[in-house]
Amino acid sequence: MKKALTLALALMGTSAFAAPFVYPAAWTAEQNTANKRGGEFRDYTISDFKTFNPFTSAEATSIPLTMGAGAGLFTQDPRNDEFIPKMADGPATVSNNGKRFVVKIRQGMKFSDGQEITADDWVTTFKIHTDDKVGSNSYDSFFLNDKPITVKKINTYTVQFDFPAVSATAYATMSYTPWPDHVFGAAYRSGGAEGVKKLWGLGTAPAQIVSPGMWVLSSYRAGERAVLSANKSYGDWNKDSRGQALPYLATYSYRIVADLNAALAAYLAGQLDAYGPRNADDLAQIKRAIDGGNLKAYLKANVSPQASSQWITFNWNKASDPAKQKLFRDVRFRRAMSHIANRQAMVQLALGGLGQETYFSTYPIFKNQIDAGLSAGAPQYKYDLAAAGKLLAQLGYTKKNSDGYLVDKAGKVLEFTLSTNAGNTTREQLGRIFADEAKKAGVKVNFTPIDFNTLVGQLTAKGENRPFDAILLGLSGGDNIWSFGSNVVPCGTNLHSYNNPTDGKCATSQEQLMTKLFYQGDAELNTAKRLAIGAQLMKAEGELQPVIYLVGGSYHVTYNERVGGEYPTNLQNSYYLSRDTALTFVK
Amino acid sequence: MIPFLLRRVVQSIPTLLLASVLIFFVIQLAPGDFLTPARLNPGISEQQLANLSQNFGLDRPVWQQYLLWMGNMLRGDFGLSFQYTQPVLDVIWPRIVNSVWLVLLYIVLFYAIAIPVGVFGAVKQNSVGDKAVNVVLYFLLGFPSFFLSLIVIYGILLLRNKTNIDIPLNGMTSDNFDSLNAVQKVLDVLKHLIIPALVLAVTDAAGLTRVIRGQMLEVMHADYIRTARAKGVSERTAIWKHTFRNAIVPIVAGIGGLLPAAVSGAGFAEVVFAYPGITPMLLTAINTSDLYLIAGFTVIVTILLIVGNALSDILLAVVDPRIKVG
Repeated sequence: MKKALTLALALMGTSAFAAPFVYPAAWTAEQNTANKRGGEFRDYTISDFKTFNPFTSAEATSIPLTMGAGAGLFTQDPRNDEFIPKMADGPATVSNNGKRFVVKIRQGMKFSDGQEITADDWVTTFKIHTDDKVGSNSYDSFFLNDKPITVKKINTYTVQFDFPAVSATAYATMSYTPWPDHVFGAAYRSGGAEGVKKLWGLGTAPAQIVSPGMWVLSSYRAGERAVLSANKSYGDWNKDSRGQALPYLATYSYRIVADLNAALAAYLAGQLDAYGPRNADDLAQIKRAIDGGNLKAYLKANVSPQASSQWITFNWNKASDPAKQKLFRDVRFRRAMSHIANRQAMVQLALGGLGQETYFSTYPIFKNQIDAGLSAGAPQYKYDLAAAGKLLAQLGYTKKNSDGYLVDKAGKVLEFTLSTNAGNTTREQLGRIFADEAKKAGVKVNFTPIDFNTLVGQLTAKGENRPFDAILLGLSGGDNIWSFGSNVVPCGTNLHSYNNPTDGKCATSQEQLMTKLFYQGDAELNTAKRLAIGAQLMKAEGELQPVIYLVGGSYHVTYNERVGGEYPTNLQNSYYLSRDTALTFVK
Repeated sequence: MIPFLLRRVVQSIPTLLLASVLIFFVIQLAPGDFLTPARLNPGISEQQLANLSQNFGLDRPVWQQYLLWMGNMLRGDFGLSFQYTQPVLDVIWPRIVNSVWLVLLYIVLFYAIAIPVGVFGAVKQNSVGDKAVNVVLYFLLGFPSFFLSLIVIYGILLLRNKTNIDIPLNGMTSDNFDSLNAVQKVLDVLKHLIIPALVLAVTDAAGLTRVIRGQMLEVMHADYIRTARAKGVSERTAIWKHTFRNAIVPIVAGIGGLLPAAVSGAGFAEVVFAYPGITPMLLTAINTSDLYLIAGFTVIVTILLIVGNALSDILLAVVDPRIKVG
């Protein structure tokens, strides 16, 4: 009864003074019932921080990203992937056939310097991100198929978003971190893009840095350590399920280490609170330390698949070698290559048994989409050398020469060059396994690891005669709402790696279909319908086999037992990771 | 002396110009540019890549990039680092300062080890002590410093597990550095510096020790030393004043290299000890093709090399009256 009353009061109070955002109790496996406060979470990063400026930062682990954690209009609930209002005061009002979103923001939110967070901050942030002279990494997220999204202030506490088309990822797009208008807006109005770029370099005093999110920078020593402390203003509008201000922690620190081996050593020595194990070797070392009583830590292997892919792509634009171009464009050839890929051996040998076979561009972590595709009959061309042989025979490769390689009528050996980036040992092993299996099937694969930059240059080259036969590489990034790459699937886009002629046109009807389905799914708001469209896309992709997907690694979780408040085990995965730092506490 | 210095300055202009051309174009020879890894990101569109390319000036021909860079440099502007979007000098300066501390301590330890050991070897030639020192030095000479660093780190870890003695393994400061007072801060940094500096000094001392030993032996057998001894000067004066001062000439000639060495950092030892010096940053810059950062730093080192050489010429004249600067 008391709860209902509080809820009613809270609902009534929204217009006058907004209620805080309450972190659901189900987001933590371990409630902080003793109300432990203070303490430090010791994290690590393997490259030095480059800037504190949120508009020029391009790092995977960055100071602005860490500071801004927990600040966004909406946030995804790890239990059901739904977007729930965070800085928004409630659900968005949708109009204009699903293209206009009017969002009321929670009142009473403040930046770390005490200034109120208002609609201006969203508008200014949007303006700066979309100025191409600033060079923001988020530039693209404000465009939909090259058409811009617009953000407008209605009043102090209301923002309006207009999308050029219906978008399934609209809530993710709107959930960007608002940076202070009184800092960046002022600099932008007086100095333009250059004015913004000058702000918040590594030399800026931490006291001048202002954050809307959970953390604020307290000190930074180049190449050594960054220390962030809890933003007190954040606790005013973020509470746990018992009404306590969040975050519990006083400090979040990054130690900058030379490489992951150094990070592992520091973790094993108990100097770090979490580590991301890469492989079986890492897991074994951690397990030994735990078993030996040197480390009190939690360890779980194979928590979920990683959100990344490894694949082989064949070049369809090879005017200099028409025979090869014809071969690579033949679907039977590519299906044969998929049959040759011994994914089980790749998982066992290259990933140490910690991974899974993959057959589609959708990462296996996005299980709902994979399941939908498989039940719609998306084909998987599994390891089967006999089947590969049959397909190659249909292409006219029936005879083998004295070396055991298949030859055509003119006696020309069936061969191609496969490149990957030198130094990536996993990919080098994947390529080696593929080449060995191909030899069994009579296909000569000249596997050559080359320089990464050269490789990317080849892959992204455009034109009728692109400079490679086949490339083994990987991709990562993307979300679980519409888990297909906007730069990968549609014809003419940057990473449509197999076919990229000058005019960017599709070469096959399946490509056209995939392009159409991509935009259709992107514009579908209904989750079930979107999954169904994705399933059709997977079916077309599976049949065409433009890219041979190989294997994906696993995500493992380990953290020091001195910290609590992680997600329940069933919510931990490579997408949501293992904890929300707001709910983390030191025992 | 002044005409000598002026001549040095004039001579250094074409040297620097040629060096800058070489530096810039050799860096350009590497495949790809700063944006290459971004091309593999499914989230970055071609429009965005073109924008960035234009922002960084990467869309222009190489010679134009060079002229622009050179022109700015003459005005004391080394350009912007792509990664940091900050002026190159702002980015590398704190790192250089960190490296200088480490290298200074290393140099002190280096001479403090090499000179006495070298002199000892010459004075007690072929004694058991001399032979033992020789064996150890030969051994160290063949050891890359980063490898020795790894062994030392392992040793420190073992020591820590056994005895709980807390010797810092990496970094330049402790976690609580910000809360320390000035004296404690200096001690804290020294505590972090001593192990890497010692490792470097010990590995490098082997070479210099052998040079000093050889030089000393040569001078000790010279006629004027015999004459000095015959005149009855003490053994101490004979060794340190007469022999050592003459034996040290080739070492002084090498001092010119110390200046650029001080800012170029301590190499892989910095990486192994995760020391925030210039080397780890430079390696990242090379990995990410951060053009102006690499080029700017290389130019600074070149300038210091020229200045350092002039300095060592002057020092030589001070040590050896036969050499005259003019």
